[in-house]
Amino acid sequence: MIRQGFILCLTLLPFISLFFIAPSMGIENNEAIVHTVGLTIILSGINVWLATTFAWWLLWTESRWKHVLEWLVFLPLFIPMLATLFGLYLILAEVGLIGTYVGVMLALLVVTIPYSIRLAYNGMAVIGRPLLEQARLLPMSRRVVYVLYPLFSRTMRTIALFSTVILLSQFALIQLIGAGLIPTVTTELYQSYAGNNRSLALSNTWMLILFPVVIYFLLSGWNRWMVRMLKGRLQ
Amino acid sequence: MLRSSVALTILVSLFPLTALLFLGIEATGTDWGALLTDETWRDSFVTTLYVVSVSTMLSLVFGTWLARTVVKQRWRFTSTILKIPMFVPHIAAAYLFWLLFSGANGFGGIEANERDYVTVILTYIWKEIPFVFLMMLGTYEQLNRGYVETAKTLQLSPYAQFKHAEFPFLIKPLLDSTWILVAFISFAYEVPALLGVTYPKLLGVLAYERLSTGLYLEATAPYAVALIWTCLVGFGVFVSYLMTASLRRRIERGVRR
Repeated sequence: MIRQGFILCLTLLPFISLFFIAPSMGIENNEAIVHTVGLTIILSGINVWLATTFAWWLLWTESRWKHVLEWLVFLPLFIPMLATLFGLYLILAEVGLIGTYVGVMLALLVVTIPYSIRLAYNGMAVIGRPLLEQARLLPMSRRVVYVLYPLFSRTMRTIALFSTVILLSQFALIQLIGAGLIPTVTTELYQSYAGNNRSLALSNTWMLILFPVVIYFLLSGWNRWMVRMLKGRLQ
Repeated sequence: MLRSSVALTILVSLFPLTALLFLGIEATGTDWGALLTDETWRDSFVTTLYVVSVSTMLSLVFGTWLARTVVKQRWRFTSTILKIPMFVPHIAAAYLFWLLFSGANGFGGIEANERDYVTVILTYIWKEIPFVFLMMLGTYEQLNRGYVETAKTLQLSPYAQFKHAEFPFLIKPLLDSTWILVAFISFAYEVPALLGVTYPKLLGVLAYERLSTGLYLEATAPYAVALIWTCLVGFGVFVSYLMTASLRRRIERGVRR
């Protein structure tokens, strides 16, 4: 009991700093928040879509390239993120996508997709082929809506949450690829930290922490509602 | 539909490898001799090695220990709370630690922005323990208790029990998490930039700053350093997976049977 209490205290201790000083309430930069929300929604959507379809394909394929491709998609996990970023910078500069929304999106997708695929694949492996095999008899749309979505809604939520957290951690990526033209809450935090504006930095920190929390609850509510509705339709 | 999105995923996954190729091309003009003897880079390299090895080792040990204890003692609530830090962005975690350890708030004699990088290591440990914990939790939940029972009946010491009945099954997730952590911690900007010092900087910070400030506009050194570091990590990954390949295969077969 004491050991558990100690571990819990250590885990939650850093959150005390949130209450040291009052965060500034006035929202300084609306654009940063809009950018962050926009990037989050698009990135999570693409990640969920690409990762689940790829994991599904990986589960059933009999292609002899399976193992090669499996390695290929997991390999980026072992490449340091900044190294990927420097290389991407060179590539995107070649195509003229530096400083654009598309360029930033693409770079973010490249760094998040390996994690998402791994999560999706693990989620499917837990349920296993025998159970999913029956679902393959259904036509595509019914299969997705009535079997796959209810089964994987939690995995999808985790993928969305993970992509959001990774996105919110990126300063170097957004600054370099966005050429400083695409402000997000993260870049704002850096600037207010460098400018020694503590209360503004703290309000940005609050936002960075609350963002994933809000997304978690929104998606949980949505999933619960959807699954209940689908169940009702089946009866 | 399925095919095109699979193709798209493969295309996106090819980007990092292409990126490395571009790094290689860009780095060809570098004066390698000057780079290797440059004291700034060398100091950064040593500090980076220190920070990476300490934070990775501690995260692995604590994460594994926690997963083992949580499964054994059935601490469900603790298990939920332990996952929380994973959903805090790195940069927010760094700022929380900065507030906790800076100026008047100096906590337990540790201060932010000092040469030993204690706060950087603490931030990484706090953030990465939940990651290791989650990787190991699945393994511990599926672990065949029969081996541990056998080891107990044979009256092995607790250490020997762990070594023979648990550790072999942990090799794969441990290896995966080690290299993911090393790749992640060793060459990053956000956390050490906030909590670090101006000299010696960690490799990631130094490389990023050299690249993004106008002073070194023509410099190819950051690209070269990024490439060298990736090759080092890649070499480590390759060797460690190769060395454990036969052992891992044997265990996988055994578990399936």
